[in-house]
Amino acid sequence: MKALTERELREFFKSIEADYDVRLPIGLHDGTRALGKLGDGPLRLAGGALPGKPTGVFFPQMQRILVETEGQIREPAPADKPLLVVGYTAADADCLEFVDRFFSTNYRDDVYFSRRDGAVIVCVSGQCGPDGEFLRIAGKGCDIELVSDGQRYIALTYSEVGKALVERAKGGVPVSEAEVSALRDESDGLNTDDSDLICAASELIGQEKVPEDFWQMVGDRCIACTACNLACPTCTCFDVFDRKAGDRTERWRIWDSCQLDGFMREASGHNPMGQEWSRTRRRLHHKLAADVTRWGHVTCFLCGRCDKVCPSNIGIKSVCREIVERYGARPAAEPIASGAPA
Amino acid sequence: MKRVLTTCPYCGTGCMFYLVVDDDNKLIGVEASTEHVVAQGKLCVKGWNAHHFVNHPDRLTQPMVRRNGKMEPASWDEALDLVVGKLKEIQAEHGNDSVAFFSSAKTTNEENYLMMKLARAVFKTNNVDHCARLCHSSTVLGLAATFGSGAMTNSISCMEQADCILVTGSNTTEQHPLIGSRIVRNVLENGAKLIVADNRKIRLARIADIHVRWKNGTDVAFLNGLMNVIIAEGLEDKEFVASRTENYEELKKVVADYRPERAAEICGITPEEIVQVARMFARAKRAMIVYSMGITQHTHGVDNVKSCANLAMLTGNVGRPGTGVNPLRGQNNVQGACDMGALNGVYSGYQKVIDPVAREKFEKAWSVENLPDKPGLTVTTAIDAAADGKLKALYIMGENPMLSDPDQNHVRKALEKLDFLVVQDIFPTPTSEYADVILPAASYAEKNGTFTSTERRVQHVRKAIEPIGRSRADWEILCDVAARAGYAGMKYNSASEIMDEVASVTPIYGGVSFERIDQVGLQWPCTDKEHPGTPVLHSGKFARGLGAFSPAAYRPSAELPDEEYPFVLSTGRCYFHFHTGTMTRRSQLLHREERFPYVEINPKDARELEIHDRRWVHVTTRRGTVRAMARVTDVADRGVLFMPFHFEEGPANLLTNNALDPVAKIPEYKICAARVRSC
Repeated sequence: MKALTERELREFFKSIEADYDVRLPIGLHDGTRALGKLGDGPLRLAGGALPGKPTGVFFPQMQRILVETEGQIREPAPADKPLLVVGYTAADADCLEFVDRFFSTNYRDDVYFSRRDGAVIVCVSGQCGPDGEFLRIAGKGCDIELVSDGQRYIALTYSEVGKALVERAKGGVPVSEAEVSALRDESDGLNTDDSDLICAASELIGQEKVPEDFWQMVGDRCIACTACNLACPTCTCFDVFDRKAGDRTERWRIWDSCQLDGFMREASGHNPMGQEWSRTRRRLHHKLAADVTRWGHVTCFLCGRCDKVCPSNIGIKSVCREIVERYGARPAAEPIASGAPA
Repeated sequence: MKRVLTTCPYCGTGCMFYLVVDDDNKLIGVEASTEHVVAQGKLCVKGWNAHHFVNHPDRLTQPMVRRNGKMEPASWDEALDLVVGKLKEIQAEHGNDSVAFFSSAKTTNEENYLMMKLARAVFKTNNVDHCARLCHSSTVLGLAATFGSGAMTNSISCMEQADCILVTGSNTTEQHPLIGSRIVRNVLENGAKLIVADNRKIRLARIADIHVRWKNGTDVAFLNGLMNVIIAEGLEDKEFVASRTENYEELKKVVADYRPERAAEICGITPEEIVQVARMFARAKRAMIVYSMGITQHTHGVDNVKSCANLAMLTGNVGRPGTGVNPLRGQNNVQGACDMGALNGVYSGYQKVIDPVAREKFEKAWSVENLPDKPGLTVTTAIDAAADGKLKALYIMGENPMLSDPDQNHVRKALEKLDFLVVQDIFPTPTSEYADVILPAASYAEKNGTFTSTERRVQHVRKAIEPIGRSRADWEILCDVAARAGYAGMKYNSASEIMDEVASVTPIYGGVSFERIDQVGLQWPCTDKEHPGTPVLHSGKFARGLGAFSPAAYRPSAELPDEEYPFVLSTGRCYFHFHTGTMTRRSQLLHREERFPYVEINPKDARELEIHDRRWVHVTTRRGTVRAMARVTDVADRGVLFMPFHFEEGPANLLTNNALDPVAKIPEYKICAARVRSC
């Protein structure tokens, strides 16, 4: 095992560009972090979850899927190099694992896998979160994990590809198992409040303990910007449209949003989810209750993006917190205010 | 793939975001900027979809000229020679003022500056205006008269600092969503009081402390009623009134006639509502007024604006964070287009054309002589002049009066009567159908420049992709026109050079340069290179010195319901579309969301008329009939219909009344008499 500086890592990523289409966290013009190429801006490994949908690298906002000319249909040419994506958090790796399953269960989404197959995933964790926050160590779900000890990044490998790649990295200092164990202990000791919160909210929603007027109240705050869907790594819905110019037709797909009326509207104009609050409820119900039945677990992995992008502060964590506060079981120590003598 | 930081082309909030460009020069997405002072990593639905229309196959990609009645492709040389030749010929025969220029709130500051320079310096006419005439001309005049500056007094961040917010005539969460969401957060998280004074039950009304559903058009009576109560109960800010204002006695005299009982009767509400609102607003430490088209688009629009200003001054709510009179500008650059002087009576920075000193200054700066000295035609009066045969030629950049102006049949007749019409745009529009020359323009994503947001923040627009087809940036086209007309003073290597010229002749933009706004925009006034910009206007002193109370008496709207036309028809925008729909109706998800022209009607009215939801109805006014889909909803009050004006196939503006405010010449889009029946 070895630990590399950000500069050494930069050189390493540069050295593998001949074999991989490398995407990593960079700083854009105004400092916003995003997945980009090395030449697009300064490397910004530290800082935690990137603001954009991390799975968007395989499932972009807008993507050409077919081209028809003179009766011939062509799919876009395959990429000449596989992707190597740096900057996933542990939660992002969980999301990716789910999206891989989603896009390969019952049907296989070739467009998605045309980018995903052969891709190498590099997680970033440890002492490099926003405001000094410690980022949970993934320990799986990626090929390489760069765990920051505050000075350098320790390169842990979880696949043969990852191992072979890290061996190509120049420089670095050796790291003992004890140092890694200490970081793992710190990771294991991170509080699980958010996870407990989501589970508690999931149960309450599943048990139908959240009344309609709560969802109406949340729906009243929603301005239907759709950002919760657009930022969510596990939102996979898309719409398809054609662009015709002369004798050429291009078929594209574009991220869709279940917060829009048009998402579930029938051709007649009728919409079983015709009210805003019902769509807000559905979105949370889907991830926290329906998916438990479908997949055996909630499909929010607590990446926190919807809470950050929501203009009205009704991201999934905020709403779950409110659900648990309002409808959750009271702690045993708290007296029940039901006329009992003071 | 690359990402380019630019400013949203929709409303005036001024969110910046990154356009995502693929390797084929196509836009494939939008990413939010986490660092931008307004957006803060968030966007509205239009912002998230702002890339979509740019590569639409309908884009105009080559110049077109009319030959034997048919529009045919032409070279840029042929098209521009024809434009200049015809405009000169018409001016030679009918005088300089026989041609007019419509500038555009969708284009950059630099382009608006050049359009007004082209009209004034090259074609020697003040017939230059743009669609601010149709939205906030009453604000510009009303606030200039009371405060000395016709712009939003405060900053968007102030929305989260106010203790009480009066939102009137603004559907903020739909039309300025990232401002609306700040109001939502302030109310629900900080406990700020929210008063919504609006006939429609807008989203903000759901969380308001008080929702006053007054009769449309009774704004002055309502505001005077509030001031009557405030004075009667001694809730005015005596020190502010004494030290910062003038003409208070006149205000007292006028509002004395609006006791709550009388005001309530005019407004169709209860006297208690007026008293309650007056107390809530006046007792707040920091109270702000937020308004938009519901205040301005009336034949008494200027009076409405002045009354808002009066209320703010009476309660001492000007010049501090969290207060102020905050007109929300509806277009990405409508503030900038006004600032640049794309108005009939002013040069950039609101320097008046009737002022000989200003004229001399611009004559010197532009190396020309004899700049015209009388205000020219406005967007609205130019159409009237064309219909009367007095205006012979019109050059329209990025506007679509066939859908945006009142009384479409009147506009059609006017355009048909013109000898020569030039339309410069990114998509074909109902207006371009009447053009003799169509010039294909580059979209916001294909050029550099600046937009000025509603909070007076000058921000970058950056080129993300090359212009589509043979389209060109508006500023390049305008420079080419000027050169062909024999004027040597409009040659620039970049948009940045144009802004440098703007800064040199425009005191409020004196310190603005592309370099200074690279990371964060500057809020004008920004008078020199060291000036940090001005987040809050009128601190310590009004722009005009003392704030002038300008009381107004209530005047009824021009066309009120009667037996034949029993409904009030009000018009505006919906959340998912923008203005005449040229961009949003070519954006997949936005178009899918609202596909048809519709009219909102109250459930009780619908029941009485046997009108059902999602069924087609005819809406008729004295100007004509439009087919629209009924939307039965309690958002509409009884007796009131609401129609958005985005739809070519159901144009609300075929129905509206071309009655104008006597001062601002703004049309009364918010009120006309109508009837409705099932198809």
